Amino acid sequence: MGYIADTSQFEKLFSYWKEEYEIWAPRRFQGGGRFSDTDAVRYARVDSPSEIEFEEKSAYSWKETVFPPSETLFYFSQNHVEEAEAPAKKRLVFLRSCDLAAVRRMDQIYLKNGDPDYYYARKRDGLAFVLIGCPHTCENGFCVSMGTNASDNYDMSVDVTDGAYYIDCPQEDWSRKLEELGAAPAEHKPSRVTENKVSVRIPDNLTYEVGKSTMWNQYDKRCINCGRCNFVCPTCTCFTMQDMYYDADGKVGERRRVQASCMVDGYTDVAGGASYRKKNGQRMRFKTLHKVLDFRERFGYQMCVGCGRCDDICPEYISFSHIINHLEEGMKEAQADDNSK
Amino acid sequence: MTTANKYVPFPSRIEKVIRHTQIEYTFRMHFDQAEEKVKPGQFFEISMPKYGEAPISVSGIGKDSIDFTIRRVGVVTNEIFEHYEGQSLLIRGPYGNGFDFNDYNGSELIVVAGGTGVSPVRGVIDYYAHHPEKVDGITAIVGFKSPDDMLFRDDLAYWKEHIDFRMTVDSAKGREGYREGFVTAVVPELTPKDLANTKAIVVGPPPMMRFTIAGLIKLGIPEENIWLSQERKMCCGLGKCGHCKIGNTYVCLDGPVFPYLKSKTMVD
Amino acid sequence: MDMNTKELKKNAFRVTKVRGVTSSRVRVPGGLLKAEYLGKIQKIAETYGNGTVNLTARQGFEIPGIPFEKIPEVNQALQEIIDGTGVNQTGKERGEGYPASGTRNVSACVGNRVCPYACYDTTALAQKIEKVIFPNDLHVKVVLTGCPNDCQKVRMGDIGIMGMTEPQFDPDRCVSCGACIKACRSKSVDALTSVRFRPERDSYKCIGCGECINACPDLAWTRSQKKYFRVTLLGRTGKKNPRMGVDFIKWADEDSIIQIIKNTYEYTRHYINPDSPGGKEHIGYIVDRTGTEEFLRWALKDVHLPDIAEVYTPLNWNGVEYAHNKYFGNQRYHENGTIVTDFSK
Repeated sequence: MGYIADTSQFEKLFSYWKEEYEIWAPRRFQGGGRFSDTDAVRYARVDSPSEIEFEEKSAYSWKETVFPPSETLFYFSQNHVEEAEAPAKKRLVFLRSCDLAAVRRMDQIYLKNGDPDYYYARKRDGLAFVLIGCPHTCENGFCVSMGTNASDNYDMSVDVTDGAYYIDCPQEDWSRKLEELGAAPAEHKPSRVTENKVSVRIPDNLTYEVGKSTMWNQYDKRCINCGRCNFVCPTCTCFTMQDMYYDADGKVGERRRVQASCMVDGYTDVAGGASYRKKNGQRMRFKTLHKVLDFRERFGYQMCVGCGRCDDICPEYISFSHIINHLEEGMKEAQADDNSK
Repeated sequence: MTTANKYVPFPSRIEKVIRHTQIEYTFRMHFDQAEEKVKPGQFFEISMPKYGEAPISVSGIGKDSIDFTIRRVGVVTNEIFEHYEGQSLLIRGPYGNGFDFNDYNGSELIVVAGGTGVSPVRGVIDYYAHHPEKVDGITAIVGFKSPDDMLFRDDLAYWKEHIDFRMTVDSAKGREGYREGFVTAVVPELTPKDLANTKAIVVGPPPMMRFTIAGLIKLGIPEENIWLSQERKMCCGLGKCGHCKIGNTYVCLDGPVFPYLKSKTMVD
Repeated sequence: MDMNTKELKKNAFRVTKVRGVTSSRVRVPGGLLKAEYLGKIQKIAETYGNGTVNLTARQGFEIPGIPFEKIPEVNQALQEIIDGTGVNQTGKERGEGYPASGTRNVSACVGNRVCPYACYDTTALAQKIEKVIFPNDLHVKVVLTGCPNDCQKVRMGDIGIMGMTEPQFDPDRCVSCGACIKACRSKSVDALTSVRFRPERDSYKCIGCGECINACPDLAWTRSQKKYFRVTLLGRTGKKNPRMGVDFIKWADEDSIIQIIKNTYEYTRHYINPDSPGGKEHIGYIVDRTGTEEFLRWALKDVHLPDIAEVYTPLNWNGVEYAHNKYFGNQRYHENGTIVTDFSK
């Protein structure tokens, strides 16, 4: 059902949600940006609709709602393990279409690649989704190319224009609540982007052979392997375990997992001292092919959702969409090399 | 939906600590019905005090016990592992596919292993050394850096008696009775009876595996008859952490044992 | 030709080597001005000067080759620039040009409007300070820079203001990538160490440059809401004893700095040598005369520093002592590298 709610009605809906949910949304942190006098927009718990940033795309993705940068899994002593407490409430997350598409990718790894992940599942269960409409494209996104510009698997959608909340609400309890609050019924479908400034084409003949192309070499120097692209990515799922000891003997402590980046040093290091991808260009190739080749081979659809956050944040102006659009040439080069042998 | 928490380890008693070298030890740990539940080539995540969790291959399987061969590295370099006997470690597993004896039963088997790469194949060699009737001959080629770096000395002695066993050391450090060189030098000397029925397992550092496999192929062993085990960083063993992914393959779920035909398509 | 050179100089014109010809000195507080004023400066240079413009060391313009008789017209033409750069004209009528030249242009690096390293808006603070201290005949140089890189070289000024931020750490956003530790070690003071997978900041070593914040990929490090400054004191160039300004306060705030600047003017007015040539005396020489303690007594009057602030003590300057040559002029370096004394002098 569709509705138009005013601010006070929306606030009341929000209070109603809060009885059951902890609400996560893009939030503006004044002065919280990397550079002096800049803001940060990232996911965080919000206590009122006024705290939600509806306009600017969050620099960091929805994933922090269920997969925080650092998470304690359990506390241990030599013979005893105690699980970290689960969140007290279910979570409701405000997110855009690209991020909603990313939820499926995250589920794929965390719930369906091998056994389901306990810590992910306990936050994912009962997770409710409010789609934020996108009336215009962002700077670097290519959701249209990736087919993630439209989503219908939301509990509710909202477009905010001049203090009016235009809502589509398939969730029946919430619909009833909106009616009870006196929201005016009005058909509404979430606004969506139909054209981006950036488009990509993933070549149909893409294989791992593209690794032989020289296209990756420029990133050996250009990329500073900081991992920002991974940390902001709504589909990057990797993590590393850490044991934080409370005692000198290293027998009592807590085990955490922290988000990991395949661009950052140490990602492939094994105990024997070997490391499998030392050059930044090769790390770039690995990341790229995960996003647009091997995930699809394993699960049947592309991993990258085209949100463009990796482009937005790269301090070295390395554009992921630019890389994707060079894969075709890279394949030609790799295959020409093969034929000449 | 209820999901089991696969991350929570369980305490396992260290029944015995066996010292191999200055830095390498085997912990024999209690594990109920290990013989039924664990296969050689599989691995566990072991929580080492002061170090953290690490994937360690099962290097031996007893009735109710499993062996892990561990190298002291980093912060635990000075740790006296003998003191661990009788204590418990937190472990979880087994993970990975392990070696499937059905792949090798009835064939002539060549196992080539280098250094700590002996751990995952120790169970395979040992099984056929004790059940020679299951194969049409078994050859084990094992390489160490020096006589001081030899692992599983008792096993090596037994294998020397009962199977075609050959050992190399990179350097004998002036001692008599050792063959100096790499395992790759031994491969061309092999004379399998029936190449089509000869199978090979190769485990060791990446360059050693690459050259050994090239040698085996040159010998005429079909590519589809070769298996190997991949060592990668693994923080979960559950297909989540991503560190072990190679192309579309998760070493923890799909490996660590791979047919060479699959492995050669995997680009790190 | 009759010309009151004292008045000429106070009006921001220079006595040049060519008789009857002056140059006009244009103030640009904070070193930032609307591009349209460049056109006006060009016009003055081409109409009244020799068609050239000098970029000064302190971020002003100097328009040379102006005949004395054109000064009134130049002052008329400067009015738009004076208005546009927000310079106080107290003591002069409109169209009479600059009211003083003793207190030098408040200069600043580009600051956080442009530079990712800058910890504050240097231009805005420079303009604010200009409003407080100008016009004034006292020869004072206030210099602002955005971060401890000190591109503006604040240690060469009487009052140096260097931007700082107090890094805030959120352990829940740290993924132990090590970027902050690496950045601090290679680009700054090595104030971070890894303790149990997290960076630990040595606040004694930390200079508040913000390299850790810029390096952090996950916003685990962020900037303090409050802006802080390192204040350096009494650097100078010149013919007696050029020296670098020394650290005075670490983690000062804006209000304190403005009060300290006002106090410094009070102190200088009180103690300046009335016979100083041209009424100009570097504050540092006055402090050498009164003693540092007396200066600090004045400078810190009614200053309420934030709790985090550290006041350095004692303050020790050194630098080149040209004057020593007078007493030790018979010493010189021999070509073999040793010091030799020529007793014949």
